[in-house]
Amino acid sequence: MITADDLKRMLQAISDLLNAHVDELNQLDANLGDGDHGTGISTGFTSASEAVITQNTPTEVLKVAASAVMNRMGGSSGALFGTLLLKAALTVKDHMELSPVQFADMLIAGKDGVAQRGKAQPGDKTMLDALVPATTGFKDAIINGQSFIDALAVAVEAAELGAQATATMQAKFGRAKFLGERSIGHIDPGARSTTLMFQAIYTYWENTHHGEA
Amino acid sequence: MAPRTKKLINQPETILQDMLEGIASAYPDVVRLTDSGLIIRATPKTTGKVGLVIGNGTGHEPAMIGLVGQGLFDVNVPGEIFAAPGPDRIVEGIKAADLGGGILVCVSHHAGDLMNAEMALELCELEGLENVDMVVLYDDISSAPKGSEPERRGTAGLFFVWKMLGAYAEGDVTLAECKALAEKVRDHTRTLAVAITPGTNPVTGQVMFELPEDELEIGMGVHGEIGQGRQKLTTADDLIDAMLPPILEDLPFTAGDDVLVFINDGGSMTQMELFILYRRVAQRLEEHSINVYSSYIAPYATTQEMAGFALSLCKVDDQLKALWDAPAIGANVRMVKP
Repeated sequence: MITADDLKRMLQAISDLLNAHVDELNQLDANLGDGDHGTGISTGFTSASEAVITQNTPTEVLKVAASAVMNRMGGSSGALFGTLLLKAALTVKDHMELSPVQFADMLIAGKDGVAQRGKAQPGDKTMLDALVPATTGFKDAIINGQSFIDALAVAVEAAELGAQATATMQAKFGRAKFLGERSIGHIDPGARSTTLMFQAIYTYWENTHHGEA
Repeated sequence: MAPRTKKLINQPETILQDMLEGIASAYPDVVRLTDSGLIIRATPKTTGKVGLVIGNGTGHEPAMIGLVGQGLFDVNVPGEIFAAPGPDRIVEGIKAADLGGGILVCVSHHAGDLMNAEMALELCELEGLENVDMVVLYDDISSAPKGSEPERRGTAGLFFVWKMLGAYAEGDVTLAECKALAEKVRDHTRTLAVAITPGTNPVTGQVMFELPEDELEIGMGVHGEIGQGRQKLTTADDLIDAMLPPILEDLPFTAGDDVLVFINDGGSMTQMELFILYRRVAQRLEEHSINVYSSYIAPYATTQEMAGFALSLCKVDDQLKALWDAPAIGANVRMVKP
């Protein structure tokens, strides 16, 4: 089962990994936007992981993290990653711990929230191109009886492939849209940071729970 | 990482707060900085009026911290550098702009600005805060084709909206009337921008885009987004001759129209260059029998030390002329009719 403490430590792991990739994410963003996605998202998740320390339930942890990401980070990334956490928080209301299926449903709800808020579609060269295959791949793996850590590995691989594929796409959303054809050839920074989030969760789970949930 | 260009700051993390404290202490008779980081008027409008609020990424000064004051905004919610403020902060701004006559949240059309404003309005609804509305503004003809105007982004020409909406909201008008006025100005405004040298993101130190020494970029966004077309550097006159026709065709502006002309300094243009550019605009408009009612040549939305400019035209009737002529007293954006 996944507890509030697990969620807090996952947020810490995500924050640590994003901090280690600030320059890479800034550089990806410089190709397509204003060059600060790494700085922004690392600031957002650092403040989220600090803000959740005193929270005791999964829904409170996610809600407080959502608020920190939205308001500390701002911009479209703050709105989208914040919405991901907020919708996740709403689905785990009243639960002190989550089963792998509940964790999967939480991710799917977060993904749906991002799609609804940003009004982008898969293929538009956004974080959804990593988030959709990662969350649906994870849920399918859980339903098909794979272990929690194996399902996380599926999610990481799907996110990585999805993020790589954004390089071939023409942006249809956000600031990069205005580049038109010149957006082709560059990986979307939001898809890359989404991939890093799943990698951080995978590594945390592998190191602390020996893969079992 | 590319070398950080020379900027006189303290720490990248304190840029926003240091700047806000600076403008508030420089112009205490015009603006005040609240504990929660809002820029509000030193002397609020009287109760019962419509409050005007805008949230925006910073780094574009004087937009928008310099546009709070009489005949302009009531409240500005400054976000981080180039990132719109989050929804909770916009809600704080909405509450600070509440004078009893309703609150209009103004949005310069960019994905982050729009999403955060939408979430703020949803939060207001949850809190039972009534009489709050939002208006989405855009003007850049290079960002989406004619016929898809609502997909265009908000750039320098929105200065016309803020100036005239600000003057309008000083009067006894309703929230719905303010929104309609903002949309009217928007629908009479068209903009096209050019960059010749990039600016630097002050937090990361990264140059925001690469542009060869002998090239310019037409259709720049205010965040240093790479635009749509590059061409060889040319003369001021030739550049205006290339930029003006698509602007005129888009509205269209036609013979006999009265227009306002705004040339926005993108950050580090010289006055010399701006006047040389304006000279050609005036000549060309005269040839088209388009009458310049008034012109304004100044920095409004800058992108750090970017060299470049935006050319904006707004078609005006008697109502808009009177609103343009009304006084505007922001911290460092001040307009009076001579």
